[in-house]
Amino acid sequence: MVSGKKKSHIGWIIAVILAIFWLLVAFVPFMFMVLTGFKEKLEVILGGALAFPKSLYLDNYISIITDLAFWNYFKNSVIVLILALFFLLLFSAFAAYPLSRFKFKGRGFMYFLIVACMSIPIHVTMIPVFQMAISTHMYDTIWILIPTAVAFAMPISVFIMTGFMQGIPKELEESADIDGCGRYLRFFRIILPLSTPGLSTLAIYNGVNIWNEFIFAFTLTQSEKNRTLPLALWNYQGQYSSNTAMIMACLTLSVLPMIIMFCILQDKLVKGMMAGAVKG
Amino acid sequence: MNKESLASRRQRSTTICAYVFLIPVIVLMAVFLFYPIVQTFINSFTSWNGISANKSFNGIYNWNKLLHDADFWKAFFNNIKIMILSLVIQMPIGILLATFLDTGGRKYNFFKVIWFLPLLMSSVAVGYLFHYVLATNGGIISGISQLFGGGVVDLLGSQTYALYAVIGVICWQFIPFYMVYYMAGYSSISEDLYEAAAIDGATRTQYIKKIALPMLVPTIKSAVVMSVVGSLKYFDLVYVMTNGGPGTSTELMATYMYKNSFVTYNMGYGSAIAAGMFILITAIATIIMKVMNTGGDD
Amino acid sequence: MKKRLSMLIAAAAMTGLMATQAMAAEEISFWDIATDEPDKTIWSWGVDQYNENDSEETGYTVNQVPTVNDQYKQKLAVAMASGECPDMYIHWTGGPMVEYIKSGYAKDITELFQKYGLDELYTDASIAQCTVDDKIYAIPVKNDSVAMFFYDKAMWEEKGYEVPTTISELEALCDKMVEDGITPFALANSAQWTGSMYYMYLVARYGGPEIISDAYDGTGSLVCDATIFAGEKIEEWVEKGYFPDGVNSLSPDNGDDRALLYTGAGMMLHGSWQVASIKSENPDFYENLGCFAFPTLEDSEADQSVVVGTMGDNFISFNCEDDKLEAAVKMASYYSTDEWMQLDIESGNLPPLKAATSEEPAWQDILAVLNDASAIQLWWDQYLPSAVADVHKSATQLLFDCSETPEKVAQMQQDALDEYFAENS
Repeated sequence: MVSGKKKSHIGWIIAVILAIFWLLVAFVPFMFMVLTGFKEKLEVILGGALAFPKSLYLDNYISIITDLAFWNYFKNSVIVLILALFFLLLFSAFAAYPLSRFKFKGRGFMYFLIVACMSIPIHVTMIPVFQMAISTHMYDTIWILIPTAVAFAMPISVFIMTGFMQGIPKELEESADIDGCGRYLRFFRIILPLSTPGLSTLAIYNGVNIWNEFIFAFTLTQSEKNRTLPLALWNYQGQYSSNTAMIMACLTLSVLPMIIMFCILQDKLVKGMMAGAVKG
Repeated sequence: MNKESLASRRQRSTTICAYVFLIPVIVLMAVFLFYPIVQTFINSFTSWNGISANKSFNGIYNWNKLLHDADFWKAFFNNIKIMILSLVIQMPIGILLATFLDTGGRKYNFFKVIWFLPLLMSSVAVGYLFHYVLATNGGIISGISQLFGGGVVDLLGSQTYALYAVIGVICWQFIPFYMVYYMAGYSSISEDLYEAAAIDGATRTQYIKKIALPMLVPTIKSAVVMSVVGSLKYFDLVYVMTNGGPGTSTELMATYMYKNSFVTYNMGYGSAIAAGMFILITAIATIIMKVMNTGGDD
Repeated sequence: MKKRLSMLIAAAAMTGLMATQAMAAEEISFWDIATDEPDKTIWSWGVDQYNENDSEETGYTVNQVPTVNDQYKQKLAVAMASGECPDMYIHWTGGPMVEYIKSGYAKDITELFQKYGLDELYTDASIAQCTVDDKIYAIPVKNDSVAMFFYDKAMWEEKGYEVPTTISELEALCDKMVEDGITPFALANSAQWTGSMYYMYLVARYGGPEIISDAYDGTGSLVCDATIFAGEKIEEWVEKGYFPDGVNSLSPDNGDDRALLYTGAGMMLHGSWQVASIKSENPDFYENLGCFAFPTLEDSEADQSVVVGTMGDNFISFNCEDDKLEAAVKMASYYSTDEWMQLDIESGNLPPLKAATSEEPAWQDILAVLNDASAIQLWWDQYLPSAVADVHKSATQLLFDCSETPEKVAQMQQDALDEYFAENS
């Protein structure tokens, strides 16, 4: 017993050392992204990315923060993120509910279709989607970016949610059935609250993807007023050279909201979440 | 008799309810995914430069070319390499990180946030920074090699190693996703189970091995499917870091399709590549799901 | 049918507008790649001038839509495929322009070109680049971009290096540099078109510009002495250590090649747009920036004054008709006015206009080379059809790590050409 404890202590120490090693692996590139934003243009070219800035050159960050256009991109990105995420989570939970918990005709086929849709390379959709955007007069608006974001994240999200909902014990639902809840009500009363870890995972993963989404943003918008954050880099990219320091500063600033979002959402992934929800 | 009809009525209302919940997804997928893929299949039987209004059908020419195109099959096997190495590298590390965080609890939140950072970084930044990490002059890998008396190592410029270097970076970027995914998997295991095991005198290690990991298996299976599909249609970092080079050593199905469709004005053939990709990926994913016996069928 | 209907509607709309006397200006959409400075200023100047001075008279206003260079071609292709090709758009001539013409998205502007007197203003070489079958399809803009060697005059003086005029002098100089611990060629070849410059020049020096034009006509082959010579020279130079370590992974997009030049590499073969980049990014170095033409090959019968490059860099084509086309060309003609020319020159460019000269010291050497040039050989990756250009770039990259023989590299390019002929005959 005692030796077992000791052994596990040593094991834990090794685990912490490895954890710290991985901390460096994950953090160092990120750190250099932030630091490159503090360099001058020539300094970046001469020293490369993996050098510490000679001085704390603040102009890059300041000129981005004081640029009204940047805040406009930011606003557009936030609108797209919130609306797309809301519909995405709702619809994928809708779809995952029958797929994971009902027996019905065509279920296997529907599931197969979802997986098949995961396999579609995104570039094949560009021309049809562009045509749709034109014919619905949604080309060059931020609104077209919402249905596209929802649609393309849908297959993988339904896939993830179905997996999670399969893990919810049948008994919980059955007890609600006895209480007289119908299938529709059970979804909102029982299943949705119990799916919080799955929904949080989806929100984190898709949140990041929607925030960084580039292909449709550049294909489907053209005016500067309708651009999202990933297109903000254009101001620093030319045909033959680009201002890397500015680009890194811009990327650093765009990543901050995602870090905050993660800090809030990751709390929902902590152990005992499920138990708490059931007891409550 | 009466009872039977009740059962079938119940079944029918279940089916109706199921499709009511599925409507939004069916509509969205039909418009944004089925329709384009059907178009892609149609285009794959045409000779089309991808810009002109004129398409002319050329039968199975593109498909025949695809079957005999050594570059495409090389790209396919590059994708398979990414698939295998992603599974071998990302899954275990993802589980280890999630297990560590699950065991450590809230006091390790700091680790969680930092470990998550790679997933947040855009491909532009990742491609740029790793260009220098892998550089011959002042790069980290070359630095380590020189420290041990070796020469400079030119991973990205080497036809043999460039693909592996890129795979390393892809893994680095996606491990946080699987970490989060497994954490969510762990979080649906009731804490009561651990308490019960602890009362029985089990150590944390025993609990993880005997109880938690087996309960994580369904999560792992879904993760495998996602990783397989993701690796087979991978595009981003390869496009940014090597654009398929040197030579064609890091060409992937998706980059090859992209080049044919949008760079060299051969959309007919690009569509055949995309359609071929679609068939191959769906087939592989379906086989893997069948083998693991997960998913749709009861 | 559909077209006729839309014309009817347009006509009806027009008469409606006429009736109310509210002649709202129609829009001409203009796509370019001017997303950053100084391009933003250079390009929008013309648009602004036109909109201020002429839009009332012509009834059209121009709406400029910039897209970043990396994704521009793709966005343009998607728009064209959807039947939404912009009224004016920029491109780089060569193979893609032929596709645009074939698909009906680039209108013949020969008459308008003469009407606005543009044929008097632009250099012959730049007009030739816009011409297919004696018809003009585009207007050249922005910059003469030719490949030359750039070097640090101060460093060369200090070390006693002399500008080489022949390839054997160049090799002797490089040997001396290697002895001195200097990397002779600052090349970053991950993008492939940078290394291709060495190949194109060596082929042209050995066999003249006919090698590539004959191959493209189908009258010659790329598997020939000239391409083998070029491949062998490059591999020889690689083995002698003329190129930097990891040349195929160094990235011109990150400025790795300029970084090498700034930190003491011997010389850099690159496009003349580097003048503008160096000027804005490293003014100290710019003061000592020198350049010279690619050295000549002794006892070669080919014309040794050929320069590889492009006359104009960006080219505007038009996808509209009648008075709209006329208005659009009128707008584009602002890029040949004296005022605009000064603006362009100040930012370090040399517009493809006959009247253009530059006071910039770095440009003097380039101008001298250009004046001596008998012909401009367009970059192969622009000149060839895109599919062949792609093979050309990835095949020649293999020479820089000596992983393929010169014969095989030549064969790969010829195979791609043959396949192109087979599919487009």
